[in-house]
Amino acid sequence: MFKILYIYFLILQCFLCASKTNAEIINTNVERLLDLSSQLVKTTIKITAEETTGKPITEYVFLVADPNLAFISLKDDTEKNILLRKNKEDLNGDQTFTFTFKKASPTQTFVIETVSSKNIRPHPVEIEQNDKQLVKYNGSLYFYSKYKTRTQKTNVKLSSSNILFHTQQKPFSVGANRIILGPYEDIEALSQQELVVHYENQTPFLTVNTLERTIELSHWGNIAVKEEIQLTHAGAKLKGSFSRYDFQKEGRSDHSAVKSYKTYLPASASGVYYRDTNGNISTSNMNLVRDFIELELRPRFPLFGGWKTKYTLGYNVPSYEYMYNDGNKYQLKMHLIDHIYDNMVIDEAVIKIILPEGSTQIKFSTPYQISRRPNELVHTYLDTIGRPVVTFSKSNLVESHIADFTLNYSFEKVSLLQEPLLVSAFIYVIFLFTIVFLRLDFSITSHSHKE
Amino acid sequence: MAVDIGGGVGGSAASRAKGLLTWEKQEHLLRLIILILAAVLSFATRLFSVLRFESVIHEFDPYFNYRTTRFLAEQGFYKFHNWFDERAWYPLGRIIGGTIYPGLMLTSAALYRIMWLLNITIDIRNVCVFLAPFFSSLTVLVTYALTKEIHSTGAGLVAAALISIVPGYISRSVAGSYDNEGIAIFCMLFTYYLWIKAVKTGTIFWSAMSALAYFYMVSSWGGYVFLINLIPLHVLALMITGRFSHRIYIAYSTLYCVGTILSMQISFVGFQPIQSSEHMLALGVFGLCQIHAFVDYLRSRIPKDHFELLFKTLVSSVLTLVLVVGTLLTITGKVSPWTGRFYSLLDPSYAKNHIPIIASVSEHQPTSWSSFYFDLQILVFLFPAGLYFCFSKLTDSNIFIILYGVTSIYFAGVMVRLMLVLAPVMCVLSGIAISHLLAKYIKSVDGGGTPKPTDSKRHHKKLEQQTGGVKSEVAIGFVGIITMMLIVYTLHCTWVTSEAYSSPSIVLSARSHDGGRIIFDDFREAYYWLQMNTPEDARIMSWWDYGYQITAMANRTILVDNNTWNNTHISRVGQAMASSEEKAYEIMRELDVDYVLVIFGGLTGYSSDDINKFLWMVRIGGSTDRGAHIKEKDYYAANGEFRVDKEGSPTLLNCLMYKMCYYRFGQMYTEGGKAQGYDRVRAAEIGNKDFELDVLEEAYTTEHWLVRIYKVKDLPNRGV
Repeated sequence: MFKILYIYFLILQCFLCASKTNAEIINTNVERLLDLSSQLVKTTIKITAEETTGKPITEYVFLVADPNLAFISLKDDTEKNILLRKNKEDLNGDQTFTFTFKKASPTQTFVIETVSSKNIRPHPVEIEQNDKQLVKYNGSLYFYSKYKTRTQKTNVKLSSSNILFHTQQKPFSVGANRIILGPYEDIEALSQQELVVHYENQTPFLTVNTLERTIELSHWGNIAVKEEIQLTHAGAKLKGSFSRYDFQKEGRSDHSAVKSYKTYLPASASGVYYRDTNGNISTSNMNLVRDFIELELRPRFPLFGGWKTKYTLGYNVPSYEYMYNDGNKYQLKMHLIDHIYDNMVIDEAVIKIILPEGSTQIKFSTPYQISRRPNELVHTYLDTIGRPVVTFSKSNLVESHIADFTLNYSFEKVSLLQEPLLVSAFIYVIFLFTIVFLRLDFSITSHSHKE
Repeated sequence: MAVDIGGGVGGSAASRAKGLLTWEKQEHLLRLIILILAAVLSFATRLFSVLRFESVIHEFDPYFNYRTTRFLAEQGFYKFHNWFDERAWYPLGRIIGGTIYPGLMLTSAALYRIMWLLNITIDIRNVCVFLAPFFSSLTVLVTYALTKEIHSTGAGLVAAALISIVPGYISRSVAGSYDNEGIAIFCMLFTYYLWIKAVKTGTIFWSAMSALAYFYMVSSWGGYVFLINLIPLHVLALMITGRFSHRIYIAYSTLYCVGTILSMQISFVGFQPIQSSEHMLALGVFGLCQIHAFVDYLRSRIPKDHFELLFKTLVSSVLTLVLVVGTLLTITGKVSPWTGRFYSLLDPSYAKNHIPIIASVSEHQPTSWSSFYFDLQILVFLFPAGLYFCFSKLTDSNIFIILYGVTSIYFAGVMVRLMLVLAPVMCVLSGIAISHLLAKYIKSVDGGGTPKPTDSKRHHKKLEQQTGGVKSEVAIGFVGIITMMLIVYTLHCTWVTSEAYSSPSIVLSARSHDGGRIIFDDFREAYYWLQMNTPEDARIMSWWDYGYQITAMANRTILVDNNTWNNTHISRVGQAMASSEEKAYEIMRELDVDYVLVIFGGLTGYSSDDINKFLWMVRIGGSTDRGAHIKEKDYYAANGEFRVDKEGSPTLLNCLMYKMCYYRFGQMYTEGGKAQGYDRVRAAEIGNKDFELDVLEEAYTTEHWLVRIYKVKDLPNRGV
C-alpha cells in the first residue's frame, strides 16, 4: 500500500518538476546575508534570476526548508515590502512561497527577507554562572532553491569574533565577527549541505512563551492595554549554584544573564503599571524618547539560563489616536502586538479586543494570517448585556510582525448614556425605597414597650 | 418651662420663616453628617500604606487568610470546608476547613461574589486589602449605637469620632492587614450592642439577634472567649447587685442557648463550648439564672420560713454535686485542661516559663506603659472619668460597660495583642466623659446660661437638669482645653498611623543619604523566584515565621508555618538549623527538604532576621526529646553573650544557620572603614569567614541579601 503511494507520489513529483522546470529559470547571482548576532536568524537574500530561453519571468517559487520560519517578505524594484503568503501544498515537506511579478521581464532582481527563531541553540546546553554562552547554528551552506544557482556568496554576521568552529568549505574568509563563504559556482537545484557555526553569543536569549494582550476600548476616550507575559531565558541553562557575590562583583553588561530589557510603548501611554501576582514590581524606569516611551523593565530577579518569570504590563492610551468614526461606523487601528524587547520571539500570542457594550457588525482584518477564535462576551463594570470580545491567536512571532490590524464595527452613540442612566436610576430607586420604607409601619402591635 | 416653650416656638417659627428644617430634623441631619464623616475618616486614615506603597497584603498571618480566601472564592464553600492542604506542614498536611475561624474568609468571599454578581469585576486581593478599613467604618457606626444605648446620643457621636482614629484599633485594621481582628472588633461591639438592647427590652427578638451576632463573632475570631465570659459576668454582676429580672433572664437564656448551639457549628470550635474550662462561666451562669428564676418563683409561692430551709438545703446539695461532677469530668478528661494561652492571660510569666513557642511571639508579650499612651493617648486619662460618670448613675447597661472596661484593661496589660479589645471601650468611656463634661460647660459659654433660641428642646431639658452657674470665662477655658486635647489626639493618632502602623513589612523602605527612598523588595523577589524557578512540588524549609508567606506567594510546600500547632515538628526544624552540617543533612533528608530559606539582614541592617531569632530556634529545638543534645548554653560565647564574631562559641560558628547566613559574606565589604564580612546588625566582623558548604548549594540570594535560598544536594552517586 505504502509502496504504491510512494510510486504515485514520485510520478506526481516528476510531473510537477517537468512542468515547471522546463521554463528554465536559473539564479544567476545570489547574495545571502546571514545575521546570527542575536537569538534570531535574519536572512537577507538578494536574488538575480534569469530565464534562459529569454521568456519573461512571471512567477517565482521560493522554498524554505526551515520549520521555524517566523516571517518572510519580499522587496522588488518598487521598493515595497510585500508579505508572502504560504502556499497550501508543500514540496517534499518544505514550505513554498509563490509570487507573481508585476512587470514580466527575462531578468528579475529582488530581495527576500526571512526571520526565523530557535535555530541557534546553546552548545553546551548548561554553563556555570561565569561561563560564556556558546551557541551553535545549523543551517544550509548553499542557497536552497528550486532552481539552479550559478554563483552564490554568503556573508555570515556573528555577535563576537570568538568562533570555535565553522564549516570549512573553500573558498571562505574570516574577518572580525564575520565569515564570508563562497563564491560557490554552479550549484544544482535542491542541493543541500550543512553549515555549522559554533561561536560565542552573549545576547539575551529571551523567549516569550505566552503573551496575552487585551485591548479594552471605551467610547469615553480611553483604550486600556494589558499584556500578560511569560518569559523564559532560553539560552544555556545555569549549572550548579548561583552566587550573588560573584554576580554583584562582576557587574559585566555582556553577561548572558538578563538583568533588564527595554520595552517600547506608544508616546501617549499613561498610567503604566508593571506587576505580577505578588504585587507591584518596583524596579523599572520610564523615559520619553522622541516618539515613543522607553520602559526599562527589570524582572524581580536576574534571568539566568532556564529561569522563568511572568508579569503583567498595562497602560492607557487616548482613543483619538487609534479610533476613527463616520457616524455610527467606527474603526480601530492598532498594533496587533507591540515591542517587548529587541529581537524578541513570541511563541504564542493571544489577543483579545474588548469592544464597548452594544457594538455590532464587527469586521476584522489583519496584515497576516491569524487563527481567529470564537467571539466571547465579557461582563464588567455597569454592564448588562456584556461586551463583545474578538479573540485570535498566532504563534511564532517576531518584531517584524508589529503591524496594525483594522477593526470595523458600528455603535449607537445613544448607548453611551446607558451607564450613567443606570447609576442614576439605581440611586433613585434606593432613595425612593428608603422614603417609602421609613414612612411605613410594619409592627403588628402598638408600641407598648418603646422607650 | 415657659422658656422652653418659647424657645421651641421661636425656633420653629424661625425655621418656617427661613424655610429650613425643623430642629429635630436638623439634629438628625447633623448626627448623620457627623457619623458619615467619622466613618469616611476611619476608612481614609487606614489607607496610608496603600497610597505610599501599593494595594498589598501585609505581615504574615494575613497571607494565609488571603490564600484561603482566594481558594474559597475560586472553589466554593464545600471544597473549602473539606480542603486538605498538602502545601503546609509537610508531610503532615493540614485540614484547613476544620482548623480555622472561617468568618473572615466567608465575609470577603461573599462580598466578592456579590460584587461579581453586580458585574463589578474587582480583584479578590483588593477585597481582602480593603476589608479591614471597611469594617472599621462599620465599627464606627456600631460604636455610636452602643454608646447611645448606654449613655446618650452626644456621647455616641464623640465615641464614634474617637474610635475612627484610635491607633490601638488601627494597628490591626489598616488596609492590607487582612486579619481576623479586622472584622472581629466589629462583631464584638455589634454583639454587645444587641446584648444591651436585649437587656434593656427583654425581648427574645433582640437576644436572638445578639446570639446571631455572637455566632458571627465565633466564626471570625478566637477572642470570642472574652465575649462569652464578659456577658455571663455582666449577668452575674446584675444578680449580685439585685438587678436580676425577667428581662435579664430572657436575654441571657436565649443568648446562651441559641449562641452555644450556633457556635458549635463552627468545626474548629466543635464541642468546646460545653467542655473546655474557658466556657464554664457561661454554663454556670446559665444554670444560676434558672435557679435564680426558680427561687424567685418559689419565694412568691411559699411561706418565708419554709422557703429559708428549702433554700439552704438546695444550695449546699447543688454545690457538692457541681464540685463532684466537675472533678470527675476533669479527671476523665472530658473537660479540657486549662490551655497554655489561657494561663498566660492570668499569669503573664506562665508562657515564658513553660512554652517557648508562645513566648517567642512578640505580640504575646506583656504591654508596656508607654504603649498604652502610644495607642490610646488622652483616652488613658479620660477612661477613669468615664468610669466615674458611669458609676455615678448606675444602670444595667452601665454595669456592662464598666465590667468590659475593667476586665479588658487587665487583659490588655497581659498581652500586647489584646490592646485591640481595650481600645473600643476606652473610646466609649472617653466619649461618655467628654460628652458629659462638654454638655455641662458649654451652656455657660455664652454667658449666664440664658439659652439661645437655636437650642433644641431636648438639649435644653438636659442642660437645665445639670448644674449650671459656671462663669463664662471658666467655661470658655474649659471647653478650649477639651478642644485642644481633642486636636492633639487627632494629630497624635494620624502621626502614629502614618509612622508606626502603615508599613506593609513585606516591602521595606529606608532613607538614603541624599533623602531619597530606597525600597527593599527582597521578600517578594525571593518568593517569586521560588514560584517561577523551582519544581512545582519542591519542599522548602524555613523558620515558621515565613511559612504563610511562602505558601501564599511562592505556592510551594513548606514544613512549618505560623499556625504553630505541632511543637515537635517546629522543634525538628529548629534542630536542623541549630545542628552542624552533617547532622542537619540527616534531618533534612528525613524531612525530604529540597530548599532551605533564611532571612539575613547583615548587609542591610534589617534586625529581625534569622540570626537574631536564632536563640528561639535553639530553645524550641532543644525543647523536645530528639533535640535534647541542643543546649542553649553551647551557643553563647565564653562570657555568656551571644556573639557572631571570633569570640562566639564554635558550636554557633559551625551550625547550619550560621553557615547559610554568612556563606561568602566574608568577602563582602558592607560598610566603609570596616573589614570584609562586617555584619551591620550585630555590629561585628563575622568570626567564621572562609568555609564551603558540603551538603547545600546557593540557589538564589536576593539583591540586598535579605533572603538566601539554598538547595539541598542529592546524595552523591556511588563510586564518584
